[in-house]
Amino acid sequence: MHIPDGIIPVQAALGGYVAAGGAAWLTLVKIRRKYKNPREAIPRASLLTAVFFAASLVHIPLPPTSVHLVLSGLVGVILGWFAFPAILVGLFFQAVMFQHGGLTTLGVNACLIGLPALLSGALFQLRRYFGRNRAVPNALLAFGGGFLAVAVGAFSAALLLTYTIPAHLDAAAERAAIIALSLAHLPVALLEGVFTALVVLFLLRVKPELLELEA
Amino acid sequence: MFTLAEKTTARSSFLHSWEARHKLAGITALIFSFSFVRDLRLLPLILAASALVYYLTALPPAYLFARLRLPSVFLLVPAMVLPFGSGQTVLARVGPLALKLEGSLALLLIAAKFISILTLAVSLFATTPLAGLAGAMRSLGVPSLLVEMVLFTYRYIFQLAGDLKRTGTAATLRGFKGRSLLSLKTLAYMVGTLLVRSYDQSERVFQAMTLRGYGRAAVAVSATAPCRRDRLALAGALALAAFVILVQVLVL
Repeated sequence: MHIPDGIIPVQAALGGYVAAGGAAWLTLVKIRRKYKNPREAIPRASLLTAVFFAASLVHIPLPPTSVHLVLSGLVGVILGWFAFPAILVGLFFQAVMFQHGGLTTLGVNACLIGLPALLSGALFQLRRYFGRNRAVPNALLAFGGGFLAVAVGAFSAALLLTYTIPAHLDAAAERAAIIALSLAHLPVALLEGVFTALVVLFLLRVKPELLELEA
Repeated sequence: MFTLAEKTTARSSFLHSWEARHKLAGITALIFSFSFVRDLRLLPLILAASALVYYLTALPPAYLFARLRLPSVFLLVPAMVLPFGSGQTVLARVGPLALKLEGSLALLLIAAKFISILTLAVSLFATTPLAGLAGAMRSLGVPSLLVEMVLFTYRYIFQLAGDLKRTGTAATLRGFKGRSLLSLKTLAYMVGTLLVRSYDQSERVFQAMTLRGYGRAAVAVSATAPCRRDRLALAGALALAAFVILVQVLVL
């Protein structure tokens, strides 16, 4: 899901920056409205960003191999509006530290991962209609958030890559590529959903206020 | 596990001494102009330019190759699809597959741009301390909230990676193997524990920082004054970026 430098044309990269800039502006406006002093939330959001960054390096077994989780759904569930700047910062560090992703594609990647994370956060907030402390609705909404974040991101990335790579694939090959890339991410999306639900159930028992940051 | 180039930023070279704001602007302009390239005839120029920039870092080639290894895995997908699935002119046949000219050239374009842009990015990050980079980002208009998040996150990443590793070691000592899907619950609880601990710590950090005056005024980022050489280097980088774009748009 991390598109590296040089793969997509500059128009798409610049478009990604424009979209990510707009999304960052919108989330910062929302954050400023929510907090009287937005800077008071920065240490907490940054520390949680660092947790997600470190946790995304954990190998999760997916026999016969293992995968790294994206955790964008969990970021959205816990950080809410802060999820987008948190993912932007996390992607910046991944590009700097591991050359994972890229500098020109930072905007595109932030949109592919950050916007679905906001969607997951919004989905999880529906729990207020089903009972904040009930395990089953919390787990189902968390699963939906974790699954959607990866599934939507992977599908969008597949669309973007297939339609912007400078080559003339025929329509059938394009469709096949999109379906193949999306299906390849399906097990990871399911795994992310289950993982997000397990973490949310753990937090619900141990530290429920961590799930109330956006309430 | 982490290899941010803090060790390499302490060295001495032309790129290390280039003022951070000018360097960020110059190299970013080059990176974007290189990603604009669509004509194969420009590839030698962008590869040579990125090699020159890396040469000016005075870092060994092995450092660059090590940094290219992981992201290069991403090239495997276009390498498998493009030469066989794109174009009409058949160059060779490998069993049932036909190697096509147009797809091979498209792959060449992607690979060359990928290597040259990554070389520039490595040159930038390997020669600029994060504090300098954050200051440059702030002075180039990045919102202070984002810049502060970058600095705070960087402060905690190493500590949390260490915490996670220690938690993993403790679990391993208790017999946890983590090789099947059944271990997902344990791994989720490990991440949950890290979140709880970090949340508690963040409350204490915020209270300690508030006592020291955090939140009253924007963080001032010190910046060294650019000299003539910094401006000339920036002008050179911008001129090359403009040349690449103009040649691509007007001539080719």
